[in-house]
Amino acid sequence: MTISRGPSLERFADSRSLSLGVELELQIVNQHDYDLTPAAKDLLRLMGKYKLPGNVTPEITESMIELCTGVCDNHTQVLSQLTETRDALVACAAQLNVGLCGGGTHAFQDWSQRRIFDKPRFHEVAALYGYLSKQFTIFGQHVHIGCPGPDQALVLLHGLSRFIPHLIALSASSPFVQGTDTGFQSARLNSVFAFPLSGRAPFVNRWDDFLVYFDKMARTGVVRSMKDFYWDIRPKPEFGTIEVRVLDTPLTIEKAAALAGYIQCLARWLRIEKPFEPQEDDYLPYTFNRFQACRFGLDGTFVDPSTGEHRRLRDDIEASLQALEIHAMELGAEDALRYLRKELAGAGNDASWLRGVHAREQLLPEVVRQQCRRWAGDSP
Amino acid sequence: MTEIAGYLHLDRWPPQPGLVFWLALTLVSGALLGGAVFRFLGLPRIVGYSAAGMVVAALGVGLSDGQLHGTDRLIVDLAMALLLFELGSRVSLRWLRVNPALLLTSAAESLLTFGAVFAAMRWYGLELHLAMAGAALFGVSAGAVIGRVATEFKTAGQVTERAIVLSALNTLYAVLLLKLVIGWLHVDQRSDWIEGVALPVYTFVGSVLVAGLLASLVGWVLRRFDLKEENAVLLLLGLVLLALTTARMFALSTLLVPLLAGVMLRNASDRPCIWPRHFGTAGGVLVLMLFVIVGAAWSFEALAAGIAVALLLLGVRALTKSLVLVGLARVSGIDARQGFALAMCLTPVSATSLILLAELQATHPTIAAPLTPVLLAMLAVMALLGPVLVQGGLRIAGEHRPPERTTSQQKSALEQTT
Repeated sequence: MTISRGPSLERFADSRSLSLGVELELQIVNQHDYDLTPAAKDLLRLMGKYKLPGNVTPEITESMIELCTGVCDNHTQVLSQLTETRDALVACAAQLNVGLCGGGTHAFQDWSQRRIFDKPRFHEVAALYGYLSKQFTIFGQHVHIGCPGPDQALVLLHGLSRFIPHLIALSASSPFVQGTDTGFQSARLNSVFAFPLSGRAPFVNRWDDFLVYFDKMARTGVVRSMKDFYWDIRPKPEFGTIEVRVLDTPLTIEKAAALAGYIQCLARWLRIEKPFEPQEDDYLPYTFNRFQACRFGLDGTFVDPSTGEHRRLRDDIEASLQALEIHAMELGAEDALRYLRKELAGAGNDASWLRGVHAREQLLPEVVRQQCRRWAGDSP
Repeated sequence: MTEIAGYLHLDRWPPQPGLVFWLALTLVSGALLGGAVFRFLGLPRIVGYSAAGMVVAALGVGLSDGQLHGTDRLIVDLAMALLLFELGSRVSLRWLRVNPALLLTSAAESLLTFGAVFAAMRWYGLELHLAMAGAALFGVSAGAVIGRVATEFKTAGQVTERAIVLSALNTLYAVLLLKLVIGWLHVDQRSDWIEGVALPVYTFVGSVLVAGLLASLVGWVLRRFDLKEENAVLLLLGLVLLALTTARMFALSTLLVPLLAGVMLRNASDRPCIWPRHFGTAGGVLVLMLFVIVGAAWSFEALAAGIAVALLLLGVRALTKSLVLVGLARVSGIDARQGFALAMCLTPVSATSLILLAELQATHPTIAAPLTPVLLAMLAVMALLGPVLVQGGLRIAGEHRPPERTTSQQKSALEQTT
């Protein structure tokens, strides 16, 4: 059936099943009061002399920069690529006297002060969304998982949706926004919710059905490309992947690589063991679970969509780590799961670490400074 | 009339406005003009402050002799102390270590400017002693203007950061250079080796000690007090002023003490040191008055006498700085355009030169006298132009925040999007 005269989706590209790619949005701060500072252009110029496995690109505001890995096979490769790019970035940043750090939000930046990067698309977005686009000065990690075909991609997408709360709780690193403790562990996602077309993807399991949905949406004039959907997980036909977008940028590359490894294991488990059949009703407690994870992190409540049972997220994550063990061995991701286990048993997620530093130091710029040190790999 | 005045219990007729009256009038006219140039012309407020001072001088009641006396000197010293302390606290020694090309840029920019000014003065036929002192006086950049414009427009980026660091270091070199020149003059003119060596050493060591004390006290306040409370900010302001008056009591450098204290504070610990700009409203008043006073430091006679040399030296300065900063831009990690913007920021001349002149005046009035009209002419040229140059430099570098887009522009962009 053809209803569209407008934009249409490109063909779903071929990609290696379970291949991995990681994108990280980073904060650029000055080293005087540790507020965000516009230095993306200068950093990119200096980065030009490095030959890197992935890529470094500008983001919507000039105090933000994105780095990504190439297509990787496993956790080890992700970590080594991230290390190489991180080290180059940190060296360039030192030359400019700026700091780089992870974290889903900047702790005290004033969004009205941000400058939009000079690129037509960014100015369009800024004009359309007004203050939301500057409030969108938030920093996330995106993980791509390669899929053998578009139908498999959609099945994987809906299967992984059940673990969105887990991923939010593990990665949460944005308790502070504009100088105050929000009470949330991931306040970043609250900013994403403000956008139309955020949240979950529609429950369709076949690519043909998805194309029909897309054409209908395109006909309404609301969307022109996949980029207009701010879903938690969305297909990326261009790469032949699905893209998990709920993670806050972690404070260290080790954590970023561990999260990517965990997602890869989940994908393999879902694909091979098919532990449950994804269905529309899985989404009944979706927003409840998501809220619990954003607000309370690992101590949030998780409602099992199939049984309706209430559990602590922490326990459900433990259970998932158990189930993934054999897949971690197959994928060489044991270190990734070990890293997450250690965090669960110890200090908790990055949001807890940030709150701990703030309780001790009572000065948000000092918190950001220590974030920069962690990102640079200087402190544990 | 006098009888009526007596009846009304007026002490004197005609009434005598006192110091406070003039200070208040300065504040009112400075603030009005500053507000006006900012609102209607989009220029830094200090252009208005300086304009107020220029009007005062044009009426013949300015600092026509270029000498800072009594209250004027006090206000200039206090305000400069606040600005230089802020400037110094942005100098990260680690940055200079990681990026040695920046340190090289700083040394080249300052030394070549001093040298070029010296050479130009000699070429113009001025005698050796004048040219040596002039190198420091006319080679120093205007840290106050840079610091003030950058904080006023909340600019951020490489040019802002580097202009602050380079002007702080340049001020440091110029003060040291002048001390050395003064020492040398003692030796050369009076063969007084003891005074020639002891005086610069005393000033330097004494200034370092007072600066160290100030830095540690401020560091202590920043750790112990909540700067969200106005009271703590007043405490900080009090400390800076106390250190400055101590420096004056012991005839130490009023430029070196606050500047070094800022540098020491910044580099003593990694913990960020943050306080409200100019230490709150009280500091803001001082800064306003500083620019009014510096704006008033000229006269038509001085302008006529000194303008030729002044223009020559301003040109030489601008050229030297542009060549060095554009030339060394790439190696230090910025592009040529940013290098040029940086040169624009470092071109103005302001209160620092006036204070250096006052220091020279104190020991060698015969050398200070012929330099005075040149400096006054420079200040007259740069009073309004200086802040505009800094703003222009920051704008070229794209670090000056552009005005928010208007609603109609937003709408048209929106229509294009959908």
